[in-house]
Amino acid sequence: MTRSVLLTSAAILALGLAAPPALAERILRLDEAPIGEMDPAKGTDYADTVLAINLYDTLVYPRQGGSGVQPHLATDWTIEGPVYTFSLRDDVTFNSGNPLTAEDVVFSFERMMALGQGNSGLFEGRVQGAEAVDAHTVRFTLTEPFAPFLATLVRLPVVDKATVMANIGAGDFGEFGDYASEWMSQNSAGSGPYVAESHDPQTETVLVYEPDYFLDPAENHPERVRYRYGLDASTVRALMARGEHDISSQWLPPEVFAALADEGAAHLVTEAGLTGEYFKLNTRRPPLDDVHCRRALAYAFDYDTLLQLVRINDDTTQGRPMSSALPAGLIGFDPDLPAFAQDMARAQEELAQCAHAPGDHPLEIAWIAETPARERGALMMQALYSQMGFDVSITRTPWALITEQVTDPDTAPHVIEIAVSALSPDTDSLLFNMYHSSMPPTWMSASYFVNEEFDALLEEGRTETDPDRRQDLYAEANAILKEEVPAIYGYELLGAFAVRDGVSFHNLEDPARTYPVSGFNLRFADISVPE
Amino acid sequence: MKRTATILLGNPLSVLGLILVGFVVLTALLADFIAPYPDHAGAVVDFVNANKPPSAEYWLGTDVVGRDILSRIFYAYRVSLGLGIVVLSIATPIGVVVGLLAGYIGGWTDYILMRITDVFLSIPPLVLALAIMGLLEPTLLNGMIAVTAMWWPWYARLVYNIARAEKVEGYVLAAEIIGGGRMHVMFREILPNCVPAIVTKMTLDFGFVILIASSLSFLGLGVQAPTPDLGSMVSEGTRYLPDSWWLTVFPGAAILIAVFGFNLIGDVLREVLEPD
Amino acid sequence: MRILTRLSIRLATTVLVLFGVSVLIFLIARIIPGDPARIALGPRASEAQVEQMRRTLHLDEPLFAQYAHFVGDLFRGDLGISLYTNRPVTTDIAQFLPATLELVILAGIMMIAIGLPLGAISARYRGRWADHVIRVLTLMTVSAPSFVWAVVLVLLFSYYTPLFPIAGRIAETITIPPVTGFMLIDTLIAGRWDGFLSALHHVFLPAFALSLSGIGQAARLTRANMIGTYEQPYIEMAQAYGFSERRIAARYAFKPSLIPSLTIIGLDFAALLGNAFLVETIFAWPGLSRYGVGVILQKDLNAIVGTVMIISATFLIANLIVDLLVSVINPRIRYAERSE
Repeated sequence: MTRSVLLTSAAILALGLAAPPALAERILRLDEAPIGEMDPAKGTDYADTVLAINLYDTLVYPRQGGSGVQPHLATDWTIEGPVYTFSLRDDVTFNSGNPLTAEDVVFSFERMMALGQGNSGLFEGRVQGAEAVDAHTVRFTLTEPFAPFLATLVRLPVVDKATVMANIGAGDFGEFGDYASEWMSQNSAGSGPYVAESHDPQTETVLVYEPDYFLDPAENHPERVRYRYGLDASTVRALMARGEHDISSQWLPPEVFAALADEGAAHLVTEAGLTGEYFKLNTRRPPLDDVHCRRALAYAFDYDTLLQLVRINDDTTQGRPMSSALPAGLIGFDPDLPAFAQDMARAQEELAQCAHAPGDHPLEIAWIAETPARERGALMMQALYSQMGFDVSITRTPWALITEQVTDPDTAPHVIEIAVSALSPDTDSLLFNMYHSSMPPTWMSASYFVNEEFDALLEEGRTETDPDRRQDLYAEANAILKEEVPAIYGYELLGAFAVRDGVSFHNLEDPARTYPVSGFNLRFADISVPE
Repeated sequence: MKRTATILLGNPLSVLGLILVGFVVLTALLADFIAPYPDHAGAVVDFVNANKPPSAEYWLGTDVVGRDILSRIFYAYRVSLGLGIVVLSIATPIGVVVGLLAGYIGGWTDYILMRITDVFLSIPPLVLALAIMGLLEPTLLNGMIAVTAMWWPWYARLVYNIARAEKVEGYVLAAEIIGGGRMHVMFREILPNCVPAIVTKMTLDFGFVILIASSLSFLGLGVQAPTPDLGSMVSEGTRYLPDSWWLTVFPGAAILIAVFGFNLIGDVLREVLEPD
Repeated sequence: MRILTRLSIRLATTVLVLFGVSVLIFLIARIIPGDPARIALGPRASEAQVEQMRRTLHLDEPLFAQYAHFVGDLFRGDLGISLYTNRPVTTDIAQFLPATLELVILAGIMMIAIGLPLGAISARYRGRWADHVIRVLTLMTVSAPSFVWAVVLVLLFSYYTPLFPIAGRIAETITIPPVTGFMLIDTLIAGRWDGFLSALHHVFLPAFALSLSGIGQAARLTRANMIGTYEQPYIEMAQAYGFSERRIAARYAFKPSLIPSLTIIGLDFAALLGNAFLVETIFAWPGLSRYGVGVILQKDLNAIVGTVMIISATFLIANLIVDLLVSVINPRIRYAERSE
């Protein structure tokens, strides 16, 4: 048996199997970076958000075509100081058939806080308790006034108490056992438009449509969804060209998006999800402990080239210019500010005022290994800042190691490029985590920014409930960030998706239907697929 | 030595091998002079010329930040060869000492040392290196440690078998009778008899060290950017398949050329030096 | 009787080596820079939570006690929770191992089915053109890492000529209830002939890419052994008796060379398991190796330890089986070789 004989027989084998069997149902195939965490009390990443919104419902949802929130499970609510009272829809049942009641909401909240993972930190220390007033009324009492609370509720998916309790294992939570921690990572117990049929956190989750869902789906909505994890860019590209994949993840390199659009196999849409592409500057380590050095780096930064790098083609880009620390659409954002631009003269001016000479300290730039396109930004900075006399090193660091390094400000890299999304449609969820001095050192707060005036503004923003006053407060905070440069505000990230022609991603194709928070547009039932 | 040279030059396969290895070594040594864009080995960005297919200007095309792939391959050879030299010059002495001790002294020393060797050998080589690299930080030095850790047991095995065979030979017994110490017998009497086998194995292994190192960096656990490295070049290029095939195919071919060259020489050497 | 004694010695040694592997992996895992408890909890955890997790993971106890916990859990079949997938490591491994084994076993079959005959042909026509061609080709296949061959094959047979699928284990329209986890077996259990063909279609190219360097090794080894055998007096005798070349090659030269080849092929199985890491990445094959790389990048301590332990155990068992096979085929040769 020689190789040519082998290949010939392989070719025969291949040809014999080339014709795919007819599709029996409407199917939607997407992909995302691993891993997918299905337990809504544990998820934090993009894939987790997408799973949560399709399997579960929340009291409120980001407002379609606008900012803020809109009713979802809750039809309306009253706010009296720290007391929030929600009236729930009475026509919602879980996929198990159990009706969704106020008790489930309370249970979901308590479960999330007890497990202490995922987005529980958003509520930690702010909520005194939740109680079911009657079957369809739920009341949250806060420890103190907290204006962003309502918006934060988009991160509290409601789970079916009865189903969860039927599946608890041994654990540390008394009568609640492990709160079904193990089971919930494998199964869904929600009221959402889809039910998980199978789940493998590294490979794929298969979801099946639930016809009894309380909201109407799009025409020709998918009946079965295959949400795949960790496909290579080249694999996605080939699958889409063959018509075997419907919506790409947003992590493909621009070249691959461009190739897909050029071929006519797919069209591109983008999601502005309140996400900034930030180059966090370590304000604790010299030379960046001096604001003049930070400003020098920011003025010297080549914003145009960076935006050029994320441009896919004439029609689509993965980023748009920023004019301040805030992405468009958040409270405090000012559309009239001019966009950042390179200004070498001012960079040199600031550098001259800096207490450190450029050669005094090395400048370490880290980029996240899992996002290869970012190497270009790091290399660009290395070239630029070397010219200014800095001794620049760049390191490709796995994400897990970055999250570890940033916990020690004295040794954390000087510059890290990280995309940070507002977790809820409220400015507080972005700025407080990143820059308030009370935050522990994490990847979100890797600037280690300390500014009393700024802290005071944010604290007032939390307790102030008047929208106009809040707009002023955050505009002021924003101005401080522009002045003090705890980060270089690279660009506003637009998540691009390649969508196979024939598939309609209505939420992103029509601005009036777009939800303002990253990930919340991927409601599978709102997507139309060909028969 | 002269005989070896005659043999190598007389066989067309080894001549091809010598040419390939010569090419690799020369381009690595002379990269500063012959690379079309020597500065492209470092942190250079030229986004205007990014991702260009092969042309008269860039013979093998450019990568995603606009660096010349041919130049980077030359510099990557430098890294690969350096790594091969370091790994073998650490792994060989460790293996030789372990093998000699176990083979010559025997008894419990033999049992314990060889079981430790077995432990290392029973973890698939790449998996062991991956585990070490994964737990340490992914740098060139740790890459060398990882590859060395998986390499020395093979030398220990080799020397062990020879030492066990030689130990009962007349000249060793003679050396013992006239009062040669253990050290003397091991390193002065037995070791010289292991040298031909060790040298052959090192030649053969050189290619495989390059291969394993490129596999590690392919998985993202090796040389750090911007240092050029063949495995990570392939790995980064696979994202852009099939459109930008030159990002993957040329570095892949470069690995093949280097390893194939060393293997051709090693193959002929082994056939001649170890007739079985 | 002698075989039984030898078997028990081999078994004891295997267990001993496995113990050694556990110590080695444990030690490597504990010199990890960074705090596994913090990594486990993620970036938003509080210091108190980290402290709690450190106690749960026994990280506050001395090294020896930690190892005792580790081995105790191991014996209960508990490899801990993967910090990466939030599931028990054993669940993860049980899910991913069959896919990898399917790939590796198929590659192993290809290695033997193609490599041994190639080597035999090469030896029989030693010095002639067939020998030269086979030698150069097989040397080439061992001279590039599997990922290079995977890229070449996928470019040629999936992208440029779309003969084979790009990714996955089976056509997505076919749903097969998992029983063994081996797609080729599960499809047959389910009585889905189309599923079986589809699974074969999917596994063929990755397995072939993985087997290429093994084919080269096996062919080279068989050639060397057969040439050694050709020089034995009994072959000359057979030639003197006027037996046909074909008969001599098959009966007197090939068969005895098979035994040492088989032994080494047991070792090559290790290389296949490791190289599967490289091939699975290119073909998006949902196997253990992809899981392994994932957990290594995430510094998922339990999962790294578990994966390496399982792969090593698989490898040791494979070697044990090969050893047994060989001693069944020819105990005399086996014994002689051992006491060398």
